[in-house]
Amino acid sequence: METQLSRIQADIDEITALSGKDKSAVIPVLQAIQDRYNYLPREALKRVCDTTSITPAEITGVASFYTRFRFEPAGKHIVKVCTGTACHVKGAMLVHDAMAREMKLAPGRSTDDKRLFTLEKVACLGCCTLAPVVQIDDTTYGHVSANLSAGVLKDFLSRDGKEKKKKGIILPGGELQGEIRVGLGSCCVASGSSDIKDAVEASVTRDRINVNIKQVGCVGMCHQVPLLEVVTGNGGTEQSRLYAKVSPADVNSIMRSHFSPPGILTRIRNGITRIAESIQTDDDWEGIERYSIDVREKHVASFLGNQIPIATEHRGVLDPLDLDDYIDRGGFGGLKRALDMEPAAVIDELIESGLRGRGGAGFPTGKKWQIAASQQGDDKVLICNGDEGDPGAFMDRMLLESYPFRVIEGMVIAAKAVGTSEGIFYIRAEYPLAVKRVRKAIEMCMAKGLLGDNILDSDFSFNIRIKEGAGAFVCGEETALIESIEGKRGFPRIRPPFPAEKGLWGKPTLINNTETFAMVPYILDQGGKKFATIGTPESRGTKVFALAGKIRRGGLIEVPMGITIREIVEDIGGGISGDKLFKAVQIGGPSGGCVPHYLSDTPVDFESLTGAGAMMGSGGLVVLDSGDCMVDMARYFLSFTQSESCGKCTFCRVGTRRMLNILDRLCSGKAKSGELDELERLAHQVKAGSLCGLGKTAPNPVLSTIRYFRDEYEAHLEGRCPTGKCADLITYYIDDECIGCTICAQKCPVDAIEFRPHEKHEIDKQECTKCDICREACPTGAVKVK
Amino acid sequence: MVKLRINNRDIEAEKGMTLLEAAARGGIEIPTMCYNSDAGHFASCMVCVVKEKNSSSLIPSCSALASDGMEITTDDQEIQEARKTAIELLLSEHVGDCEAPCRIACPANMDIPLMNRFLAEGNADKALEVVMKDIAMPSVLGRICPAPCEGACHRKGIDDPVSICVLKRFAGDHGNIEVKQEPSKEGRVAVIGAGIAGLSAVWYLQVKGFSCTLYDSNPLPGGALRYEIGEKVLAREVLDRETGFILGSGVEYHPGTRVDKARFDKIVKEYDAVVVATGNFTGETGEWGLANTGKQVTVDKNSYQTSIPNVFAIGNVNRSTRLAIRSAAQGKEVAFSIQQFLAGSGPSGEHKPFNSRLGRLREAEYPVYMNGVSSAKRVEPADKESVGFTAAEAALEAERCMHCECLKPAGCILRSMAYRFGASQRRFSLEERRSVKKTTDHGIVVFEPGKCIRCGICVRLAAKYNERPGLTYIGRGYDVEIAVPFDENIKDAIKKAGSILAEACPTGAIALREGENGNSRANDDHMS
Repeated sequence: METQLSRIQADIDEITALSGKDKSAVIPVLQAIQDRYNYLPREALKRVCDTTSITPAEITGVASFYTRFRFEPAGKHIVKVCTGTACHVKGAMLVHDAMAREMKLAPGRSTDDKRLFTLEKVACLGCCTLAPVVQIDDTTYGHVSANLSAGVLKDFLSRDGKEKKKKGIILPGGELQGEIRVGLGSCCVASGSSDIKDAVEASVTRDRINVNIKQVGCVGMCHQVPLLEVVTGNGGTEQSRLYAKVSPADVNSIMRSHFSPPGILTRIRNGITRIAESIQTDDDWEGIERYSIDVREKHVASFLGNQIPIATEHRGVLDPLDLDDYIDRGGFGGLKRALDMEPAAVIDELIESGLRGRGGAGFPTGKKWQIAASQQGDDKVLICNGDEGDPGAFMDRMLLESYPFRVIEGMVIAAKAVGTSEGIFYIRAEYPLAVKRVRKAIEMCMAKGLLGDNILDSDFSFNIRIKEGAGAFVCGEETALIESIEGKRGFPRIRPPFPAEKGLWGKPTLINNTETFAMVPYILDQGGKKFATIGTPESRGTKVFALAGKIRRGGLIEVPMGITIREIVEDIGGGISGDKLFKAVQIGGPSGGCVPHYLSDTPVDFESLTGAGAMMGSGGLVVLDSGDCMVDMARYFLSFTQSESCGKCTFCRVGTRRMLNILDRLCSGKAKSGELDELERLAHQVKAGSLCGLGKTAPNPVLSTIRYFRDEYEAHLEGRCPTGKCADLITYYIDDECIGCTICAQKCPVDAIEFRPHEKHEIDKQECTKCDICREACPTGAVKVK
Repeated sequence: MVKLRINNRDIEAEKGMTLLEAAARGGIEIPTMCYNSDAGHFASCMVCVVKEKNSSSLIPSCSALASDGMEITTDDQEIQEARKTAIELLLSEHVGDCEAPCRIACPANMDIPLMNRFLAEGNADKALEVVMKDIAMPSVLGRICPAPCEGACHRKGIDDPVSICVLKRFAGDHGNIEVKQEPSKEGRVAVIGAGIAGLSAVWYLQVKGFSCTLYDSNPLPGGALRYEIGEKVLAREVLDRETGFILGSGVEYHPGTRVDKARFDKIVKEYDAVVVATGNFTGETGEWGLANTGKQVTVDKNSYQTSIPNVFAIGNVNRSTRLAIRSAAQGKEVAFSIQQFLAGSGPSGEHKPFNSRLGRLREAEYPVYMNGVSSAKRVEPADKESVGFTAAEAALEAERCMHCECLKPAGCILRSMAYRFGASQRRFSLEERRSVKKTTDHGIVVFEPGKCIRCGICVRLAAKYNERPGLTYIGRGYDVEIAVPFDENIKDAIKKAGSILAEACPTGAIALREGENGNSRANDDHMS
């Protein structure tokens, strides 16, 4: 015991020597402790207090504020069920409950008795197009259902421990035959693109094909992942072919269809459209259509055709960490120009561009810079807000992972304009890949003189360091973010004073969203005037959205402001998937609202969306169909914001909870008449009375759904859920389609269906937990919900 | 200097002043709950919200800074409603009783826990003093009261309620008090009816220095107590003693005097105020010209004022309940309204404070309540009929009282704000309440997290006064709690600043063990 204690003490001393001993180091210290022990042992925290200036009150207050920190040992494997919006509408909670059942978790516990698994919910894994998604350690499973949950755990355990050996890659000399581009955005990775990359490498090595294997950032076509692009020929004769939803087993055939390995007969097939028939398949991706796609094909053309890539320029071709590639394609051109300009002229360029903050509220960026620039002294700070936490939005992550240089360039330009030499990247805890890439990108920029002292031989110096968040949505709010960097609980501060006047450590602080910074290089390179030609008079330029939900083609899109909701849903997204009807789009996540289908001609700009009761927010765009319950949607978003409330002010802390109580009562049929009016009244008061943006916008999903779908609320008051989503208001039953196959009886986790071969089965309504497994498992669709 | 307008008045404030401070400079009061100048402003409770006219947004005045050209409104309907809602939200999670439920159930609002405290100490005189503040005839009521208080007693769930009624009888029978009548005041009051309602009114008016004239149609005082209740239940010497005590207060008593319509009119003219306490409504009372329903005289329910401004009606004449304690209570209350009336203000009746109500105790909470309390069974007096409790029995029984009342009933700002804004605790009672927790092992303070509003004043003060480990927030959002780091004991966490924290805490979450008047039950095991 003593040795254990002294070991902990030695560990902690090592950690604090590295991470720092002053109060602002508390979060990095906690992160390091958790990395070491996988939780926060009390003795470790006490040691920190004994040996640093951090007090017990501070360390426990901070540690318990951020959800990333655990006070109890976790299981060997962490199972994260994504409960982002897209996953939610596709049944994430059923998956979560099924996982809990499979792990045999005791009620209220998240780790099983053997400490094999710890089950967690995560706000968004950013793979919305693969919804519902479950991540176990580093392995991501897409399209999981309650029925498949047991299989997922089994599959994971069967792979565990068998680490794949990386084969060495031997590339033959000679002329390059082409380039293979493998998408390594998070969606691609989650869908197995690293396996694809391994397979390509193996194929190239074995067949001695001389090609350049390149990993590229997010292409945006997340509905087609994993993607593999084969470019053949050189110079002007380049031909490109994109393969979608590729499996590792396909790779050989694809490779051999393009490249002739020495000694093997050329097997190039011209004009391939479908190769599914010709390749061996394994069971992993059974049922998923495989085909190659071409940008000339209509659906790809319409997916990409309405988009204007600015923040995502060169997507699909740019290696995220190839600095030369970025520079060759014009990168850091904006910075070069800015360095030759007076700071005021840079700001004028921004003002001319009309760029407004992409974090949600839409404050004019040029004006913000002007305020920061006008503050006395040069002891200022610049922060890139990458604490994207909106369930159903992952634009910032994609930008950080795929275009780190562009964001850095934007930051350097801003730093020059406002006159600061200190920059901080604040990146959400759940984005380890983004942190890794940005860290690497910063190093590369330092080495090339694009960051650090005397940037590009000018007299301007600027350094950037990374601060990782620790799991608190509210830290996306700029004043809470500042508190967090200072090593405190993420309690927002009252504004004014605004951070631009008095922010981090009381210094003037410029905070912009990641996407905002990603727009800046274009504006400096191409001119504010050109940027301003895109979009609408009040909302200039483009906006990146994460398009997901009940849509045919989801993914990351960058569209000009002013595009209508209809154009996004129908042209880019290809309309509703499945046989249901388009009902509404949820824009802006937990701060936004639902715009009904009949208002589809609403242009997507700051003012129009606010007018429609939604909000630009950070850019989540989830399409809902006629099977989605709007009361359930409102409850979903409110339960998110409610659990993310920092707890500082009464309206948000208790008010959102009471709103959620009423929504819970509505969804379970317990609400009495009058409660709907109370909900509306309270929603307005929470909106008016809350201290910060989180509370002020939290009622939006509720108010907008009451506004457009009041009849659904009223139905719930009468104890009906018209879409059959609310578990307490529905019953499962089996109709005459039943063929007596017994699958449902075998699958039912609570034995609510008696095993009766060749007879019609019945569901015991008392026992049924509405887990949906039988309905999903039934081969004839005999299990119905009413 | 900063120039702004608050409620359409020009105000000059220092740079860096909050709106609250700027308003105070202009003599404008803004209600606050979580503001504490020692701990610094934090903006948590949101009771201090004001409206900025330009943006018409609500901002917390305790921390928003005054700036040039601001236009602020501190008091309109939206602001009022926001404040009320903020308080109601806090009340919806407030776990505790302001007053013990027995006291709330008592129509006379008698301070039962305090009586019990004195009886447990063997101090019958002090106990009687407490009782007589609200009940003029304790020995009588100690024999005939159906004791609604005992029905509400939290102890009832654990074993049996405290025998409050018999304890009160003991106080009445064995306590002695010195009556300190206030110097005589202007204003002559006639009381018609010498039943328990009329006698009670007389007592509380006489004590306050108002000379009363008491008319009664019966030859002996007591009304229904004497003429309807059997001697076996209420021994006449007890009745005579207590009526005699009241009549000895200097009242001009006219027994055997029937008041007919003519005499009533004369009395109304002659006296500044008249109390009608004639018992059940009769045809004769109906002729007196007071608005009535044919079954009862119509009165204002707070002040008991009738349709004739200087006439008040109490007891069974305004609603026949045959509940003596209710009539007694009204006697006390009408004395208060009459004082208001005689002072020239419209009578509004006694201030009825806001009361947070816990509801039924849960089994898991019994130990919290039983901590330091006698676990003995309810004491039954050996000779209930003629003796009641002996002194030893009374002390033993009084020790069974769990003292459910809050330690900070007067100083609690949440309570006073709830009263001020007419807040309802029930508006948001939408989920099961949290459990009651009390930490009582600190020498100076008692910590009740269920009463906390999460303003964090204590956290900041503990840090300011270098308490270690001090206090901290644990968790966040709705579930955030104030606690001692590393689950250590509060007695080790707060060593110096206990009384400062108790003073600063806006509610009863951190309160002095000894209570506000130095006589709380939390002192039990420390008092000697």
